[in-house]
Amino acid sequence: MIAALLAVTLFQSLDTIAPHRLPRTAAIDERLAADASLKIGDRLVLSSAPGDSTGDTVIVSALVRRRADPSEVARAEYRVRLHLDQLQALIAYGDRVDRFAIATHGATATDSAIRRINGAAFGFQAYRSRDIAVETSRTFLVVSRFHRAIGVITIVASAIFLLCIMLLKVDERRRDVAALRLMGISAGSIVSSMMVEAAFVAVAGSAIGVGIGWTSSLIINWYYRGVYRTPLAFAVVTPEIVTLAVALSLVLGLVAGFLAAQRLVRLPALELLSGRREKRTPARTIVAP
Amino acid sequence: MLLRLAWATLTRHRMRTLLATLGVAVSAAMLLDMVMLSTGMRASLEDLLLSRGFQLRLAPKGTLPFDTDATIPEASEVIRTLRTVPGVTTISPVLGGQVHVEGVQRTISATALGVDPAVQGDYEITNGRSPSAPNELVASADFLQVSGAQVGDTLSVAAGYDSQLRSFTGRRTMTLVGVAHFLYMAAEQRAVALPLETLQSMEGARARDRVSLFMIKAGENENVDTVLKRIETALPRVSALSTETAMRQLDARLSYFRQLAFILGAVSLGVGFLLVTTLVTVSVNERLGEIVVMRAIGVAKGRIVSQIVIEGIAIMVTGAICGLGLGLVTAKYLNSILAAFPGLPAAIDFFLFEPRAAWTALGLLTGAGILAGVYPSWRGASMPIATTLREEAVG
Repeated sequence: MIAALLAVTLFQSLDTIAPHRLPRTAAIDERLAADASLKIGDRLVLSSAPGDSTGDTVIVSALVRRRADPSEVARAEYRVRLHLDQLQALIAYGDRVDRFAIATHGATATDSAIRRINGAAFGFQAYRSRDIAVETSRTFLVVSRFHRAIGVITIVASAIFLLCIMLLKVDERRRDVAALRLMGISAGSIVSSMMVEAAFVAVAGSAIGVGIGWTSSLIINWYYRGVYRTPLAFAVVTPEIVTLAVALSLVLGLVAGFLAAQRLVRLPALELLSGRREKRTPARTIVAP
Repeated sequence: MLLRLAWATLTRHRMRTLLATLGVAVSAAMLLDMVMLSTGMRASLEDLLLSRGFQLRLAPKGTLPFDTDATIPEASEVIRTLRTVPGVTTISPVLGGQVHVEGVQRTISATALGVDPAVQGDYEITNGRSPSAPNELVASADFLQVSGAQVGDTLSVAAGYDSQLRSFTGRRTMTLVGVAHFLYMAAEQRAVALPLETLQSMEGARARDRVSLFMIKAGENENVDTVLKRIETALPRVSALSTETAMRQLDARLSYFRQLAFILGAVSLGVGFLLVTTLVTVSVNERLGEIVVMRAIGVAKGRIVSQIVIEGIAIMVTGAICGLGLGLVTAKYLNSILAAFPGLPAAIDFFLFEPRAAWTALGLLTGAGILAGVYPSWRGASMPIATTLREEAVG
């Protein structure tokens, strides 16, 4: 209802016919038009209660598409935009409105207007649109925090998975590493080469992940736009997100590669070559009789 | 014997086994959380809706309770009609509104519920008593905290504000007689409850004989759906909702969370499965010589497969058990995030632990563990004995 009242001002120009002579115009939700098979030019009878015989006839003059507004996404009700006085009469609201939208000339004028309204107009409270937007998008802030928490859990799982895979990959090359060590290649060089390999795996995996993520975002947007009938983008892959994901993956890969390689180069080369871990027994002291 | 062999293999590469178990634990935690999310929210809301025994709700036509500002007119007539409907035992009318309580330093706004205190199902008294006179009210602890009022205080309560006269309208002097826990209110929401007639008269003509909602109890032996149909026939100008219908409406609105739970749960299970499959495959490849020797000395293929499958199951089950604990901790944290959802009753738990959820997660992971071990073990046990022995000896 608030939106309807607000939107009234936008549609003042839709109707140039003198009031109460001919049916006035109204703009209806695109979804309502689709669901009720309505089109521009159709006549509707609007009333404040179902079956009310004292309804008002209007002509559909425009179809309104929903804005990409997160606060409206879960709301399934239809919206009809009427002229202010017509709605006031229809719902017996008197000379009242729920709120005013005020345009100003820039930020300074906004501050000044808010100060003056709040100081002078007793019983009113002026808010910045930005503050209202923050308040109405609280739902999405909560969802965003939830996603971030899920993201952290996923990163932990990925880190363990990556470390495990790197450990297996490095373990597979025990003999190669042993041969390199016996040839005189330093432990540092071996660790570096394995880290380069890990970095390559991480970057290649990230590239595939970005591809899967991008495709998933297309599917998610297609699906949820259909479900909620909104142009809102539900999943967006931005360059910042891609950079973060690749950087994170690279760091995780390098750390996993380093830990796995360190573990291997610390073992004696011959032990690596034989594939058996030699048991180090403590030195025994033989006491002469 | 099988178990000892599996144990020996797992402890041979301790770090590897530990990491795999940790990976499975995180996957299991996520899986448990997602199973809890997909079922818990629904169960929690159902518990909440039925907590006071009201199985049916009547809202203005085409709306959900308190979803809009719409109200049901001619409430007395509706009550009279409802009393004639067979199976209806208790009718609790509720009017929602807002009141302004004038304090010494500032005026506090609060959500107001006009109820019949004798049959209301919206709050539970935690201190003091329920209103018994038209000028009495109860308030939430959050209201008391903000206003500084105490049980027994006299408050000046108004239902509106006339900007032209610059004064409050529908003003009453009321006594605070109790503190209540409002079942359907969001966390930290300031709320008061007062007799229905008082709130209606305070709000003036726009609320005269109107209510926002009726909560209805059906008889114990009555079929709720049958009573619902009778009400719909008797009162075609209101929307009658059973708890099941309300749940369906909620499902439609919060379908996002169920879908997210399904996708993330499936991904978690997939990650756990992949991890164990990789580990078991590498383990089998490393032990090909050992496996063919066992085959050569007459150990049956089935026993070798069983031993390797047991390894996979052991990692999965150990990881899952650790993951259940981890899952409960993360569920508590995630629940605290979603509890801040605007407008949602504070009593709703998104992650509600039910033993069934734990068993489902454990069962799925055990199944994944079996599947993860079957292929690599079968492949290992089916290798040609002589050729593999020779290759292993030469290699």
